[in-house]
Formats: sequence, C-alpha cells, structure tokens
Amino acid sequence: MHKIEVLEKKWYRYRLKMIMIPLGSSVVTAFIGSGGYYLYDKYYIHHKPITRVLSATKEANSSDINIVKVAKVEPLEKSNDILLEPIIPVIDLKKEESLHYAKKSTNSSTSHKRLVKAKANTYLTAKELASISSVERRTSSKPYVMKKIKFHSTSVNYIETIKEKYEHSHSSRDALLLAKAFYKKNAYKEAENWALKANEINFKLEESWLLFAKSKAKMGRKQEAINILAKYYTKSKSSKAKALIGQIKTGKI
Amino acid sequence: MKSKFEELKTIFIDSVDKNNYVELEAGTYNYNILETSLLKPLKMILLYGKPGTGKSMLLNKLYHNLKEHREIHYFDAPILSEKAFLKEIYESMSGQSIPDNMRVNFDGLLKYCQSLRDKREIVFLLDECQLYSEALMEKIRLLSDTRVVKFVITLHKTEDEDIIAKEHFKTRIWEVIVMKNVTEYDLQLYLQKKLIKKGFIEVSNMIRKKDIKYIHFMTNGNFRETNKYLYTIFDIYEYYEKNSPQKISYKKLSKKILEMAAIRLGYIDA
Repeated sequence: MHKIEVLEKKWYRYRLKMIMIPLGSSVVTAFIGSGGYYLYDKYYIHHKPITRVLSATKEANSSDINIVKVAKVEPLEKSNDILLEPIIPVIDLKKEESLHYAKKSTNSSTSHKRLVKAKANTYLTAKELASISSVERRTSSKPYVMKKIKFHSTSVNYIETIKEKYEHSHSSRDALLLAKAFYKKNAYKEAENWALKANEINFKLEESWLLFAKSKAKMGRKQEAINILAKYYTKSKSSKAKALIGQIKTGKI
Repeated sequence: MKSKFEELKTIFIDSVDKNNYVELEAGTYNYNILETSLLKPLKMILLYGKPGTGKSMLLNKLYHNLKEHREIHYFDAPILSEKAFLKEIYESMSGQSIPDNMRVNFDGLLKYCQSLRDKREIVFLLDECQLYSEALMEKIRLLSDTRVVKFVITLHKTEDEDIIAKEHFKTRIWEVIVMKNVTEYDLQLYLQKKLIKKGFIEVSNMIRKKDIKYIHFMTNGNFRETNKYLYTIFDIYEYYEKNSPQKISYKKLSKKILEMAAIRLGYIDA
C-alpha cells in the first residue's frame, strides 16, 4: 500500500477521533445535566423549605416569608426552684407512671413529701425524678425548706422553657413544639414563624408545612395556605396536606 | 503526465538561495539594521534567533547585495578546524593560496591585519557560529580587535547557546539583531510572494486566510517549518493528481490534505 493511502487511513482515524471526542463529551454532559436536573427535581425541589417555595410562588407576599426574630428569651431568674424540663408529648405513660410510683414510695419514707402537679405535657421523666430525689437526699441532713415549683401559668412556663431549650438546641423539634404551643394559644403569627423556623432547620418535617399553612389559614390568608400546601402536595403526595387543603377550602379551618 | 505540483513543491525545498529570498516587512527591517551596522565602526555583529527564522537567508542576501561594493566574504558552512579557518581567512584577505603542507600562524595573521589598518576594511559573514569552539571564537574576537576585520555572525537561539551568546559575546558584540518567527500576515505575504514569483498565481489564490491561519498554527510562523509543511502538502497533492484527481480541487486548499500533511510531519498526533 502506498504511503499516502496509509496516511489517508490515519487521517480518517483522526477525523473520527475529532468527531467522537466532542460528540462523546456532549453526550456525557447532556447525560450528567439531565441526570442532575432529574435528581434536583426529584429530591431538592421536593424537599425545599417553605421559604424557597414561597419565593418561587408569585402569589406569596415577600413580607410574609420574613422570619420574625424571636426576642431573646431572658433567662429565668435564678432561684432555688427546681425547673422541670418539659416532656416531649410522646412518652411511655405506663413506664413513667410505674417509675413515678416507685419514686413516690421512696419519697414516702421521708418525712417531707413533694407534690408535683403537672399537666400531661409536663410529666417528669425518670431522670428528672431521680435528680429531684438526689437533691432531696443531699439536703436531707439540713432542715428542709420547701421548694416551690412555679406552675402558676403552665402554658407560659412551657413556652418559655421550650424557648430556652431551643436557644441551646436549635432543633426543629423544639421549634415545632413552640409552633404547636402558639397555635394552641391562638397566637397564629408566632405559630407561623416557629413553623417556618422548624421547616428551615428540617424541611422534611411534614408537620412544619401543615402548621405553617394552618396558621396562615387561621390568619385569613387561606389562598396563600392553599398555595403552599398545593406546592408541597405536588412533590410529596402527602395525604395530610391534601386533607388540609380540603379542610381549608371547605372552611373547616 | 507531469504533475504541476511536482514542480511546485520544489520551491519549498529549504535552501539558502538569494533567489528564494522573499522581502517581508520584518526581514527588511532587520536587513536595514544589519546594513547600517556595517557602516558603523563595529567589530562584531550578531544575528540571533531560533532555527528557521531566516538568519542564513539574511546573511546570504547581505553578501550578494554588498559583494560588488565592498570587500566581503561569506562562510556559509562553519569551518571547524582552526588551521583551516585561519588559512581561509588569510587566503580571503590576501588573495593568495596557501599550499596544503603549510599553515597560517595566528600571530602572523594578526600582524598582517594590523598592517592593513586604515587601508582596508574586510567583512566576514560567518553562519552557524554556535558550532565554533570557544578558542576559535576568541581568535575571531582578537582579529576583530584589529579594526581591519569585521565579523557578522549568526547564532541559533537555544537554551545552551543563549548562555554562549550572553557570556561569550556580551563584551565583544556591539550590535545584536534578534530574528523572530513571522506573524500570520507576514506568512501570508511570504507564501503569496514565493508562489507568484515562480508563476503559481492560481495556487496562491487557492490559499485562503483560514488556511494561512492553520499553517501558521502548525508552524508557528517559522520559515523552515513552513517550507517543510508546504512541501509535504504539495507532495500529497501530487500523489492525488496522478492517482485520484477526483479527490482534489484546484479552487481551494483541501483541509483534508492540510491535516494529512500535519499528521505526516507529526504536528498532529493521529
């Protein structure tokens, strides 16, 4: 074969290479791009927090998505009072009860009894009960001074305590608890803010979406609430969100 | 049947021939500096640049332009033996032939040069001086110190030779002319002039601006590389003209052939 023919074959290979390289890189880029978009669409948008959904929704008023800064909670006045850490709503009541009775029987051996009346959401944990009894044991040699437990306004106490807890933990759960507490107190603006905060920390928290929408609905901004829930439902297919939309539409909320 | 490309490719065979010299802006500028420098009382002039930048061609042109007007001698190939070099210098200056069994004594040559002071001024053009030994270069310097002999030397610019140029000549050379690769514009002029000069006007018209750009990209505007590249291009054309004429066009340069030539010369890794 003549050297030019060999050269021509080399040239064909070269041209093929020159075509394949950009073509291959385009295919890879397109594949990566579409894959990335798919993942973005499936996961990121699906789980994006309320604030982003709000900013993406034209109807949303920008003033509504501002996070209202919660005034710094002043630490409670230092006293000898025993502060009870609030209990998370879900507790094993039977276990707690049995522990409570066990401690109660121990306490009954002492001459001084402490009666703690708490609401369901302020049950003492076993740990706290143990700490109380240990305090008592430490002070048993001294003349006993009755320690006063402030429960005059349990709900305020609860909120303050959770707020304080949130200051330390910055957990979505605490923020959600606060949102719930405010919602129960009909303080919907506060509830909305705390739901938003919970959602910002953990946008997968379904309750934060629901509570946020419910608060909005309660404040009369039903269309906004529906929009938010609709967005959330589009991505999550949450039956709760759907039911809530129905409730808002029918005026139940 | 004889292919026209067969003749065409020969004009790109690399040779230092005054007839192949193509006037370019940069070349003309350097030539004028060189000619002016020869009028000054300088002892040594250095033409300095990478291989293929046209140093030898410039020296050759200078020789042919001045040989009728002044005493000028051109050593196009380096004379590596000191004995032969001194003999050649003496013979050139004196016009006498030295028998093979005799040699030129350097001291005697120096005295001979000194005896010619204010009487004659002789120019020696030495090409490829990077091949001369340091000892011989020292003798060249001493000869130039007599102010009777002027040397125009060319030196390749490589890393090692850069040191030679700097260290060896920095105190001895009064004029340095740096030769560089040409721009796209100059390359276009070079090819056009070269082709038109030899009567290949239609081939000159085949070369478009983008072809020049591609050729410049491949050769970096180096004359030697350009000649080599064009020779290869027309060699391929010649083959196609003889064997598969349907594969070539006479209206424009084929990109395929440009690339094939680049592959053959190793400019492109295929």
